[in-house]
Amino acid sequence: MSTFTAEAYQNEYLPLDGTEVNAIVTVTSTGDGVPAPQGGGAEIVILDTSGSMDVPRNKIAAARDATCVAIDCIRDGVAFGVISGTDKAWLVYPRRPGGLLAASTETREEAKRAVRELTAGGGTAIGRWLTLAAELFASAPAGIHHAIMLTDGENRQETEAELDAILASVEGQFQCDCRGVGTDWVVSELRRVASTLLGTVDIIADPADMADDFRSMMEAAMGKATANVTLRLWTPQTATVAFLRQVSPTIEELTDRASATGALIADYPTGSWGQESRDYHLCIKVPPRAVGEEMLAGRVSIVEGDDVLAQALIKATWTGDEQLSTRINREVAHYTGQAELAEVIQDGLEARKSGDEATATFKLGRAVQLATESANEGTMKLLRAVVEVDDAATGTVRLRREVADADEMALDTRSTRTVRLGAGGP
Amino acid sequence: MTAVCPNGHISATLDWCDTCGDPIEAASPPASDLASISDEVDTSPATRREPCPLCLAPRSGDDRYCEGCGYDFLARAAPAAEPSDEGSGATVVATWEAIVSADRQQFDALGNQGIEFPAGRVERRYPLTLELVRIGRSRGRAGEEIPEIDLTGADADPGASHLHAALERQDDGAYALRDLGSTNGTTVNDDPAPVSKQVTRPLADGDRIRLGAWTTVTLRRV
Repeated sequence: MSTFTAEAYQNEYLPLDGTEVNAIVTVTSTGDGVPAPQGGGAEIVILDTSGSMDVPRNKIAAARDATCVAIDCIRDGVAFGVISGTDKAWLVYPRRPGGLLAASTETREEAKRAVRELTAGGGTAIGRWLTLAAELFASAPAGIHHAIMLTDGENRQETEAELDAILASVEGQFQCDCRGVGTDWVVSELRRVASTLLGTVDIIADPADMADDFRSMMEAAMGKATANVTLRLWTPQTATVAFLRQVSPTIEELTDRASATGALIADYPTGSWGQESRDYHLCIKVPPRAVGEEMLAGRVSIVEGDDVLAQALIKATWTGDEQLSTRINREVAHYTGQAELAEVIQDGLEARKSGDEATATFKLGRAVQLATESANEGTMKLLRAVVEVDDAATGTVRLRREVADADEMALDTRSTRTVRLGAGGP
Repeated sequence: MTAVCPNGHISATLDWCDTCGDPIEAASPPASDLASISDEVDTSPATRREPCPLCLAPRSGDDRYCEGCGYDFLARAAPAAEPSDEGSGATVVATWEAIVSADRQQFDALGNQGIEFPAGRVERRYPLTLELVRIGRSRGRAGEEIPEIDLTGADADPGASHLHAALERQDDGAYALRDLGSTNGTTVNDDPAPVSKQVTRPLADGDRIRLGAWTTVTLRRV
């Protein structure tokens, strides 16, 4: 069983007429290091087997191998299955009745034999793959429901609206880590799937790296100990939530993901947790009060089922002392910068694609400046593949003429990865 | 335990008011009388609304019989079977049948999808006696609905959904097709466009319903 802690970082002092309360809440889950060995939970690997997986030939072979590696990582007793996806969704394993089967030496070998027979052909309809996964999870044992989805191409046999409708219908039923192999897939599309399904998204530029990535994804999934954790936010009457976003380890907008459980209470999904720590940036608007008054602007509870696992308080105190009210909390400032960093990278790459070099240079220059200030070395390294840096401190850069597609997509995909204050980068 | 905040709100949280966020003074007396009243009100409805063990519909008040399926809460018994119009012992004569087969041409027309055609599959015939005949791939899990035409088997069609489609008897005794929201869709005869989900489409003698990777269900008037 995991133990959760929640801690708020903020400057609670507001000036006369001040209405905006900002805070960073750090939520940490610690355990005894061993996830509960209860059976339960289910894993599904969704493998793109569209025709393009044959080009180059090693893509489908690497995907088969990686899937077998992932299957080997599934703990005994966890129900599992494999879906192959084209413009339709195919149940590769299990093929006999009884729904998903519990992992054992025997079933793992059986599944790997079925996976090794897969060949490539057909189109791409990601939504259908997810629909079949949801159908299988629906009758799986309770617990953590997690999928890995690999694709190499654009979602051609479904419209954006169709995919959105399907995402809305399967949301909350399972978590899905998404991977794009090669450079023919669409970053924004896969990010949308991963964000909705509370999973990670990344590029696997070289098929040879797929097996290692699948292994670490499945190992991470097996390390999760607590399913369906909710961040519950209470705000007082007359207050509104301006935004709530996860800011570490990656930026994930949660503002619109709230489900109300009471007039003043909203629940935000955070998925399953292993031993890890995540940061959330909350911005709450409150009506101004007289100098000297204080109020509780927010109560953050970490909830599993009906159990409150941890709590943090966000306060507001009105003061006439400008020295107190103008101070910006370091954590808030840092993550405001990290959120801007992700935004200017995505804007800059968008401008670069549309040929607007002036905007691209300005935005990516600002990104270099922000990455340098926050010592986000991971992002800085990716930026250097796209721009030539003349002066990092002022954000003076030149766009590189020749940029590999994979480098550009890696920067786009990983633009939401943040560093912690003073951590100095990964 | 509850407390009263300076604005008069009754708060379940004792540090800050859970309505307006005002600090609650340590001196403010707990409104214990109110708390015990609301506790009593809270507990009673939960025990009354036991769901029906058969159909899970909520029990309405102290009703003896379930509104959903007629389950007898008092005797804890399932509803008695409805008397049949045909009279006991009479067999319903099917005038339609469904023939399930694996169609190689249909499989080939899909193009290479990375899966193999099953060897040695034989036709299966289902006389249609029910008003509703569902087609799908059962998961064989206890308590789950099993489609009347179950595509599960050694060669379960990997592209069929759990409850894929249904045959529904019409007023004239013929059957109509309804896609039950399948993942991969359903087509009829040689029309490549899938039928609309959850909409009935009348079927004629000899119509072939196609679904999954190779499954063809042919309707025949006997």
